Order: sequence, then C-alpha cells, then structure tokens
Amino acid sequence: MQALDDVKVLDFMWVMAGPTATRVLADYGAQVVRIESTRRIDTARTLAPYHGGVPGPESSGIFQNLNVGKRMLTLDPSRPEGREVVLDLVRWADVVTESFSPKAMRGFGLGYDALRAVKPDVIMLSSCLMGQTGPLASFAGYGNLAAAISGFSNLGGWPDRPPAGPFSAYTDYVSPRYITAAILAALEYRRRTGCGQHIDLSQAEASIHFLGPALLDYTVNGRVAGRVGNRDRDLAPHGVYPAAGTDRWVAIAVDGDAQWRALCDAMEQPALAGDTRFVTAADRHANADALDAAVAAWTAGRDMHDVEVLLQARGIAASAVQNSGELVVDPQLLHRGHFQQIPHPVHGTTTIETSRFHLSRTPAHITGPAPTYGQDTNAILTDVLGYDDDRITALVTAGVLE
Amino acid sequence: MLSPYRVLDCTNARGLLCGQMLADLGADVIAVEPPGGSPARRLGPFADDVVDPDRSLVWWSYARNKRSITLDLERPEGRDIFRRLAASAHFVIESDDPGVMPARDLGPAALDPSLVYVSITPWGQTGPKAHWADSDLILLAAGGPLVLTGDDDRPPVRLPVPQAYLHASADAAVGALIAHHERQRSGRGQHVDVSAQQSVAQATQSYILCAALGAPEVRRTAGGLKNGPLTLRLLFPASDGHVAITFLFGSAIGPFSRRLMEYLYEQGACDAATRDKNWLEYTQLLLSGAEPLEEFERVKRVVESFTRSRTKAELLAAAVARGLVMAPVATLDEVVASPQLAARDYWQPMAHSDIGRSVTYPGPFAKFSATPLRWRRRPPTVGEHNAEVYAELGLDVAELERRGVV
Repeated sequence: MQALDDVKVLDFMWVMAGPTATRVLADYGAQVVRIESTRRIDTARTLAPYHGGVPGPESSGIFQNLNVGKRMLTLDPSRPEGREVVLDLVRWADVVTESFSPKAMRGFGLGYDALRAVKPDVIMLSSCLMGQTGPLASFAGYGNLAAAISGFSNLGGWPDRPPAGPFSAYTDYVSPRYITAAILAALEYRRRTGCGQHIDLSQAEASIHFLGPALLDYTVNGRVAGRVGNRDRDLAPHGVYPAAGTDRWVAIAVDGDAQWRALCDAMEQPALAGDTRFVTAADRHANADALDAAVAAWTAGRDMHDVEVLLQARGIAASAVQNSGELVVDPQLLHRGHFQQIPHPVHGTTTIETSRFHLSRTPAHITGPAPTYGQDTNAILTDVLGYDDDRITALVTAGVLE
Repeated sequence: MLSPYRVLDCTNARGLLCGQMLADLGADVIAVEPPGGSPARRLGPFADDVVDPDRSLVWWSYARNKRSITLDLERPEGRDIFRRLAASAHFVIESDDPGVMPARDLGPAALDPSLVYVSITPWGQTGPKAHWADSDLILLAAGGPLVLTGDDDRPPVRLPVPQAYLHASADAAVGALIAHHERQRSGRGQHVDVSAQQSVAQATQSYILCAALGAPEVRRTAGGLKNGPLTLRLLFPASDGHVAITFLFGSAIGPFSRRLMEYLYEQGACDAATRDKNWLEYTQLLLSGAEPLEEFERVKRVVESFTRSRTKAELLAAAVARGLVMAPVATLDEVVASPQLAARDYWQPMAHSDIGRSVTYPGPFAKFSATPLRWRRRPPTVGEHNAEVYAELGLDVAELERRGVV
C-alpha cells in the first residue's frame, strides 16, 4: 500500500511550482491526471536543462523531473466537448488543482462553483502569482517575478553592487510545499466533515514566510534589510573562499571562539589564533575583511574537497561549493538515493531526483517517466472515465483531444 | 483542519517552521523547550534590539500559534514526562543530530508506534556525512543552490535570511501530513526523515541534473544565469531601483519577450528590426550563430537603457496593462506597503501583551474558503504554558519547578 493511493488529483497546474507540488503527491501513490493542451504547451517543456543540452519538447530535464509518475490527458478545455470531459474527471477526482491566471478557469466554465455543482465535496486549489483577488490578481508571470515583488531578489548579493538575487524563479521552489500541505490538510478536513473547499494560494504570500525575521525586523524595529554578501549575524569567519581550479570555492562557517582556534590550528597558523583582531566573535566581525583575507589566503590553491574534509574532521562546518557534476557523485546524496535512473521512451534512460524526504514504512515510489504528449489520453478516457470507442472517436474528430 | 491533533515540537532552530505550518493549519502544537528556552531564541534580530529569549524575531517568525513548555530532556524525570506527553500526541517533531533522541530513549522506536515522528537533520539520519557539521551556508553549498547565485567575478553568495532549514522544515510538514493521511487507514505511524541537503536542492530548478543528462553546467551571473555561451539576464535597473523581467525565449516565454519589445518600440526605445527579431526561436538562433552573441548583448543594453529611464511603478503599470512578465524588485518596506497585500488583508496584527504593543505579522499562506487560517496565539514566551499543559497531564508544575525539571 502506498500512503496516498486513495487520492485522485485532476491537475491543471503547469510550469514549475504547481507540478512540483503534485509530483510529491504522485511519489507517495496519488493518482495524478494532468491536463495539457497542445495549444498552450507547458512552459517547462521549453526549459533547460535538456538531454544532451539540445532543446526539444520531450527533452526537458525539468519537465521530466517535475512530472514523473503522472498521467497526461491532452485536451482543449476551452471547447464545450472538452469541458464535458473535464467535468467527468472532476466527478472522479478528490482534488482539482490549477495555476492559470485567475480568470482562466472561470473562462472555461470551470470555476469552483461549476466544479462544486457536479462534485459537492471537491477540493479545488488555485495557485497563482499574486492570489485570486486584489488589484494585481490578473498579473501573471513566473517565479522570478514573485521573488522580486515579495522581497527576495533585492536581498541576494553585495552591498556595492546591484542585486544578484536568489537563483532564477526562487518562489517556485518555496511555494510548492505550502501547496502540498494545503491539499493534504483540506483532505483531512474533508475526511472528518465531508466538506470540500476552494483554496486560494498566492505564491508571493506563501513565500514571504521565508523572509519572516527580516520582515519583522522592519515591522517591529523599522530596519530595512539590505545586501550583505555572505556575512552572518553571528558566525565569523563565514564565507565562500577560493579553492584550487577555475571558479572553485569552499564555504566555511565558524561558530564560536573555540572553533576559530580550531580553524587556526587546521590552517597551521598559531599566530592567527593569537591575533588580537580576531579573538572574540565581536573582534572578528569588526575586522571581517582582514579575517576573510586571512582565510582566503589559506584556501586558495587547496582542493575544495580536501579543505572540507580537513575542517569537518575538526567539527568545523565546511563544504565544497558543489555543481551538478559533484552533486551527482556526492556520497551522501548517493547514500540517500537522491538520483534515480528511469527508462524513458525517447531517450532510453533519464535521471530524476527522488523524494526529498524519506518515510520509513511507506516510502516514495517512482512509477514511471513523465508522460510524453498525449501518451495516456486513450487510457484515461477508457479506464478512468469508461468512454467507449465511439465517444472517443467523436472527441478526436471534433479536435478536442489536442 | 488539524484541530483534533497534538504535536510535540522539540525542534531547535533547524525545525521551527514545520510545527508552525501544522499550528497554522489548526493543530495544537506544543513547543517543548529546554529550561531557559529554545536555542532558536538566541538568534537575532531582536525586538527593539533588546537581546532577550522572549524577543528573538526568528522565534517570533516561526512560533506563532504554538504553546510553550519547558522540560529538561537531559534528566530521566523529564524524559518520563515527555513519554506521558507523547501518549497524548499524534506527531513528534525533532531536529537534533542523528542519534541524540534515541540516546535519550526518545527515538521513534522507543515511543508509541502510532506516532508520526519527524526528524529534520542537515544530511539525513544515516550516511557518510550524517554527522558532518552544518550551517545554512554549508547546506546551500553542499546541496547545489549556492554555486548558481552571485556575481560572476566574486564568490557565490547566499541570501542574508537563512533559507536551508526553511526548505527542510516545509518539506517535513508535507512528509508529516502524508504519513498522517496513511495512518488514518493503517492506524500506524512512521518515521519521516528529512535531509536539509536534499531539500535545498529544490532551489536548483533541476539544474542539479545537468551532468546526469549530459547538459552543460549552468553558471552564475548577477540577476541571471549563464547557460552555455548565453548570458541570460533577469534583473534590470529602474530609475528608482530594479525590475525583474523574464527575458527568455522559446515557444512559451518568447511571446512575452515579443510583447516587451513591441512596448519598447512604441516608447521609442528600439527600432523595428530589433522589435521584429524571432523571439520564439531566439535561443536557437544564438546557439547556431545565425544571431551573433554580440547582438544579444546589444539587445540587453537596449532593454537596460529603457528600464533605467522608468520608475518601478511605471514599469509595473505597463506590465499589468500589456501582459508583460516584468515586476518591481521590492525592498522589504515596499513589500509591507504593497497595495495588493493590503487589498487581501494579508498582514495580521497580533497583540503582544509581553511587550505591550501590537506587532504586524505575515498572514496566512493560503486562503481556505471553509477553514480560514487564524493567527490564534502570539509566539509564546519561554514556558508560558507550563501550568496549563502540565495541569492537563495532572502534574503539579510548582513541584516540577522545585525539582528543576521544567
């Protein structure tokens, strides 16, 4: 038995955040049927990384990574016959998810009220950038915009430079956890009460919680956070230091005076341990530039993995700054089974990430690759909805299954 | 939604958000703190810059809707009381290093098997790095996001608000709810084992797979990314700050870039030839050499000189009116002043009797039509609910205090 094998999800979500959330449900056994229209290709199919670095609608590694274990029905929901198919799937589903801009589902005649009319206890979750209401409700876009408008982008980088931001569409990686948790909590409530509901999840509003302390520093203390490079409030040294090779780095975070002395010992620089500029954390913060220079002078030319092992042996937090080539052979990630090779109908095999957390008794299980275009359309219409050949032929003839 | 359920939240600074998500969803979450308070309470910033365990804004951010008790788990008597508490609970969340709770005889194997027992650790419960030292920066380095962020001529850089354990704790809440769902049918609990290293890998946008897929490594550049020979830029200057633009190409995003260039043309910021480039296939044109890379550099400068001449508000208004993927890079005071968030009643005032004034908090992470999330309790002071919770167990808190257990 899988943990969620009694959960059925009709999934209109696309691009990154939404599919990331329903991927977790699929990992733990939920039946997830995605709707994709050839008239509106899933943007994720156009995003890198690609197999062999070559773009193509069945070549996107991120589309693969976010959609394994789901089935896909190719359908145009804007057509009346398409809407009827959707409503049949709504009757089948426990949960309906969508991440269009707020007017789209109502435009298809598939707003919450329409769904509830055919399935009174349906749980519908709508995820969009800014929420279903308010002056910016119709403002659609990608996670890099929500990251900007909710305060993340301005904070990453150096005080003397323009913002560097967190990587790309940051809130697309934050909000999926809130989406999945919201769905599971609503299912729990429905189990006890029989009541479904509509959940309006704004990617910006959910993600803002990841900036909590800095926001309270403003609402309570009036202080507006800015860019500080890699400086930390408490730890020093705390930074990313050059290692041997081109653009190779090692991160080091020193917690307390004893660890500082241990670092000096590891660096074989007893004079540094006695240097009055660096004795206490307050000293080290006050002289952080000189401190970073002293550490960088030692790391430069050393192998980043040698440094992390040397320092970790002394209990000092350190890690090579790993790229995908190092991550795919990282012994800890391998021990955790973080990567999995699965068969792929176009590429032979592909590699995906597995569940980020482990359940001891009902572990995640990858059932198969992400669907190719229209791969499951017939099977879903036949097995899930019980349509006969004549009805399916009529839908094909009407051009609804595109 | 989770109001019938009790959660014992023994987490230190690593795991606070997990219990808060469950508390926001209605669960009775009891923070079990060591005498003197959670180590998370030592983390700044502090309200009014007064360093005090009851004024840590990290604690305030992630302890809302929880109750707090103190309990010394280093003492056998404290452990006995914890077991009595656990008998009334449905979830236990902890974030000590692997082996610490089992050594107290409070690991998942020692407690009721119907409990959902959640462990949040840097690297996971086992493995060659399971006992490595960690921090936010170290996990971001080890898990993949760090190499992707920062200026290309300086070291990779993290956000100044620690993120790694928020990713892990949010994953932990999801894992707890999946295990809970399963328990409704099986009657059995299980152990949810969360590795922050794996959780932060989410923030690589699947670029963690580059090597495995035979794709080139993506490299960092401020406000963008370098993919092969292409330097993609997502942040641009405005006259009063910066704006984000999803200035990317292809069949899905390319049409937005075409609309952006039409807007620039109408504003007199570019010529027709620049407007009319094939934005849907622009990436392929650049990669094949049909479009010189230097021309792409010129286009980005055209966009830059235009955005630099406009305010963030002007650019947002244009984005809304024209369906452009462009948004202001907000400072945190601007986030708090957002008309959008105000229209949705996002910010929630909470009375802080402990400091005698009201504090504005971020609001519910989602709007539930049938079960709206409520900010029921301000973050508790150290052991604020000792009397209440221990009375529920039939214990005399004064006696426990006298013996130094709480």
